[in-house]
Order: sequence, then structure tokens, then C-alpha cells
Amino acid sequence: MVQQLLSPRILLVRVVAAAVVLVVVMLLCALAGTENISLKTALAGVHEGSSTNPDYEILVHIRVPRVILAAIVGAALAAAGVALQALLRNPLADPYILGISSGAGLGATLAIIGGFSWTLWGRSPVAIFAFAGAIGTVGLVWGIGRITGKFHVTGLLLAGVVVNAFFSAIIMFLISVAKGQQLHATMFWLMGNMAEEDFLVLWIGAGCVAAGVVSLYFLAPQLNAISFNPEDAKSMGIHVERVQLLAFIVSAFVTAVAVSLSGLVGFVGLVVPHAVRLVLGPDHRQLLPISSICGAMFLVIADTVARVIVAPAQLPVGVVTAIIGGPFFLILLIRYNRKVSWLR
Amino acid sequence: MTASVQVQNVSFAYHRGQPVLKDISFAVAAGRFLAIVGPNGAGKSTLINLIAASLAPQSGTISIDGINARSWGATELARKIAVVRQGFVPAFGFSVAETVLMARTVYYGPLGFESKIDRQCVAEALEMTTTTEFASRPLASLSGGERQRVFIARALAQDTPILLMDEPTTFLDLKHQVGVYDLLKTIQVNKLRTIIAITQDVNLAAQYCDEAILLRPLSRPLVSTKGNDADADRCQYRIGPACEVLAAAHIEETFGVSGFSGRIGKEQFFIPLGRMAKDAIRAADR
Repeated sequence: MVQQLLSPRILLVRVVAAAVVLVVVMLLCALAGTENISLKTALAGVHEGSSTNPDYEILVHIRVPRVILAAIVGAALAAAGVALQALLRNPLADPYILGISSGAGLGATLAIIGGFSWTLWGRSPVAIFAFAGAIGTVGLVWGIGRITGKFHVTGLLLAGVVVNAFFSAIIMFLISVAKGQQLHATMFWLMGNMAEEDFLVLWIGAGCVAAGVVSLYFLAPQLNAISFNPEDAKSMGIHVERVQLLAFIVSAFVTAVAVSLSGLVGFVGLVVPHAVRLVLGPDHRQLLPISSICGAMFLVIADTVARVIVAPAQLPVGVVTAIIGGPFFLILLIRYNRKVSWLR
Repeated sequence: MTASVQVQNVSFAYHRGQPVLKDISFAVAAGRFLAIVGPNGAGKSTLINLIAASLAPQSGTISIDGINARSWGATELARKIAVVRQGFVPAFGFSVAETVLMARTVYYGPLGFESKIDRQCVAEALEMTTTTEFASRPLASLSGGERQRVFIARALAQDTPILLMDEPTTFLDLKHQVGVYDLLKTIQVNKLRTIIAITQDVNLAAQYCDEAILLRPLSRPLVSTKGNDADADRCQYRIGPACEVLAAAHIEETFGVSGFSGRIGKEQFFIPLGRMAKDAIRAADR
């Protein structure tokens, strides 16, 4: 009877299969773009390396870093979305729900309008201010939420909504007094914007996000019980408050990393966990790794569309995630809900 | 595997408000079935939460097999006591098997997966509650009675000597009410579990439970229909064999209702009768 339960072997097979698909998608997306490049020519450059090989240059120094960046951000947002939906026991939750977006947005807007020119470890002030704003806001919201009580999700959500509204108002104020160039930069950042990054930045980002996803995986069995009912989880011997705090810190951290790399890319953290849950069920041991991989895949594709569709101009990737993601998700929702009702 | 529960001089109030429970003492011997009965606001759920150590008493102690439960961590406690709270449908569509398996979370291996023993526990719990056939269905697709059996299965899979139940038959039809009590009695007798259940159904409690405790709200004075005995006036509760505690006179004074009562064979019953009931109106007309 218990064959329906997830087994480690099935999980491993699915994760590996998804990872293989991700790598293929990343490669295909790296080859797509305004300049037609061929993989064969590009690879030849690696071996010969003599004269300049434009295909190699474009692939390795422009396309690949950007595809990797999209994958990192997508994986982080999807994993944080899974964790926050479980913690808040709310399918409408996303990584930005507890004020992280407005906090990061305020930080970024201040940095853009302040017009700073220094860098820190190769990162621009915008990224650093966004990261600090994100972490600070989440801390503030969590603090307010704690005052309202241990298991009171409503208090946490309300604190998040109010802080979001308050900071958004300040962002709007700053935008309304900003000059043309700053305005454009701010708007692009707020809609989510990918750019080519150094490999060092990418490796650090990838390391942070991978560590976050792996830590969340080890909390997944407890998240199953907590997303069901924290009180029940407690009487089953789970250290509910400890798990909640850890999962919350990790998801806030990976979201802040993602936001500082790419601005506010919407929709990934909300829709990817749902889509995966609809197809594979709510077991977080599977939901978490598969969602991360699918989130990476989704954002890689969305970013490719964003840089190809109005070439030589580029769209903010957040526009594309919502435009592809919305209809795709609705189709999935309708299909799978019908399937469930047939089973009954 | 059995365990006894001792409650000694326990008093409790929420946040320095009015006391909810005052100086409660009783013991449940290993392998017995105790019903907690009383009006809304009498502190029944508070008492269950105190025994489950979700709440700490302001004074008094609660012990399991003579050991103060406050000295245990969450994991140790979860090896002794399983709680079935009032049923609800969770936010995400877990299947029946996944729901029952959650009770084994603390026993999972380092990679976050259950062992053969855990699966065995789940299989047995599903078997015992006859929910095996629903194992792969989402919880939301079950009826109230089926879902309640799944929650009982989950408590069984936790494999504890003590089961606490908060109103296990609320919202269930007559057949499923009896079904749940039959199941609980089977668990008590065959698995030697100690069961403590809050219930509003005085008749089922009298039929199935060994002992009963009748609680009344501290805030409300005793409504006397047949003259107070001094003891009941001072004390917030009455404890003893279920049939004696749940005698019609005690129910009438604790709940402040009157009604029909009687006995058919070995079973006693109480049917409340309101002021506007057909029979009451007819009697008034006469």
C-alpha cells in the first residue's frame, strides 16, 4: 500500500533527470541570441585559442555568464517560495511577501539616486544596498511578527504587507523626484533585470544559493509536518520554532542574494512551486529540489526571451516571467484540477 | 506498552486572566479510557493541552508513569503522547499515506527518509483504522468520518502509550460517531493504549469510557436543580466511573439543562429537553 510514498531512489532519478534537462536548456539558451553563433565554432576556439574567435567570446564571456546568473536567481527564488509557502501555510505566499522586495527596492533606489561610484568586492552599491535593505526589512517584519505570537501567521503576513506598502510609498516618492537617467535605471531594477556578471560574482552567488537549497532540503521533512499544522508537528516531537526560524533565515538569505544579483524578478517564486506541487504533490523533500531546478529553467528561458524578442533592445525579465508564467500556470491549474476531480 | 497519567493539584490561567482550572487532581491508570465532559469554556481543551505539555500549569504537576512531563523535551514527549486535535483540511494536498507518515518525522534517517520500521508503523496504523484503501488519495477528498480515522491513524503511527483526543466525533454522522468510538475502544483493548478524550456526547462516553471527568466553568456558578451538595459546590469537577459521573442529575446541574434520562439494559442515556421542544410545550399547555 505504501508504494505511493516517495522513495529516495525515485527522488534521485527525478532530480538527476531534471538537472540534465536544465543543462540542455541552459546550453540551448546560451546559443540563442541576436548574433548567430555555432557551438562547433565556439568550441574550436577553446582548443586553438590562437586568433580571436568571436563565437567563443560571445558564448563564454556574454551568454554563458548571463544564463548562469538567470539559473542562480531562478533556483533561489523558487526554493525560497517553497519554504515561505510552507512556513506561512499559505499558497499565495512568495519570497517577497514579507517585505523583502520593498526593502531591497528601497535600498537599490537610494543607491541609484545617490549616484555612488565605489564598489565593494566587485559589487555595485546598488547590489549591496539592495542586499542590506532586504535583510533589514525581513528582520523587522519577523520581529513584529514575533510580538503577535508564535504560530500567528496572520500577524507576520500583516506586518509584511504593511511594511511593503510603507516602503513602496517611499520608493514612489524617490522615483517621483528622480532624474531621467536614474528613473530608467530604477524602473529596470524594480522589474528585474539581468546583466552580464563576472564569474567570481556568479560562483559566490551559486555557492550561497546551493548552500541555501541544501539546508532547506534537510528541513523538508519537518516542513511537511509544519505546513500541515505547527501544533500537531510540535506534539510529534518536531522542534517547530527552531525549524521555522532556520527555514525563514535561509529563505530570506537566498532571496536577498537573488535580489541583489538581478533586481525584483517577480512570479518565479510564486508560480514555480505551485506548478511543481500540482504535478508531483506537496512532499517538500521532492518539491524543494525539483522546484529549484524548474525555477532555474524557467528563468533561463524567460531571460532568453527577454533579450531576444525585441532585439537589439532588451526587456526587463520580470515582464517576461509574468507574461509566459501567467498563462502557463493557468493551463496547468485547469488541467490538473480536472484530473483530480476525475480520480474522486 | 502502557502508561499512566497523574494530574496533581493543577491550576491554570491564561495570561494572568481569570483562572480556567483550579486545583484539579486525578489519575488515569495505564490502559484506561477517560472521557472529559463539560460545557463550553469549562477548560476541557486547556486540560488536554496541559497533559500534552503544550501549556505549562501555574501550579501543580502532570506526570506520566510518575515522571514529571515538564522535564522532557519535545522528542521524548512525542514518544509518550500523541494528540488528535479537531479535524481540518490543510492548505496543501497531502495524501493519506503522507499525512500518516508525518508522525514518523523525528525517526527519519540522515537523508530525510523513513526506514522500513516507519513504513511498517504507517501500514499497521492504516490497517487498524481501515484507511488502507484511501492511502494514495488526497486528504481533502475524504469525508469527515474517513478523515477522522486518518488522524487517528497518524496518532497510532506515532506509536505512543497515551492518546489524547479533542472531540473526535464533532461533525460526524451517527454511524461514524459510533465507528470512531468502536475504533478507540479496539485500540484501547487490543493495543493497551491509555486514551483521554474530550467529548460532548455524554451517551457515547457513558457507553465506551471507563472513567469520566465532568468539568464546569469556574466563572459560572453551579446551576442547582436538586439542591447542592457541599462538595460539588467547592470543586470544579467530578471524577469517577463514567456511568456514575455521567448520571442525569450531574449532567443537569453542570450543563444547566433538564431532560429525559433512563437506562436500557446496561446502557444509560440522557436526552436534553429545551423550553421550546414540542414535548415541553405540550406539558406546559396541560
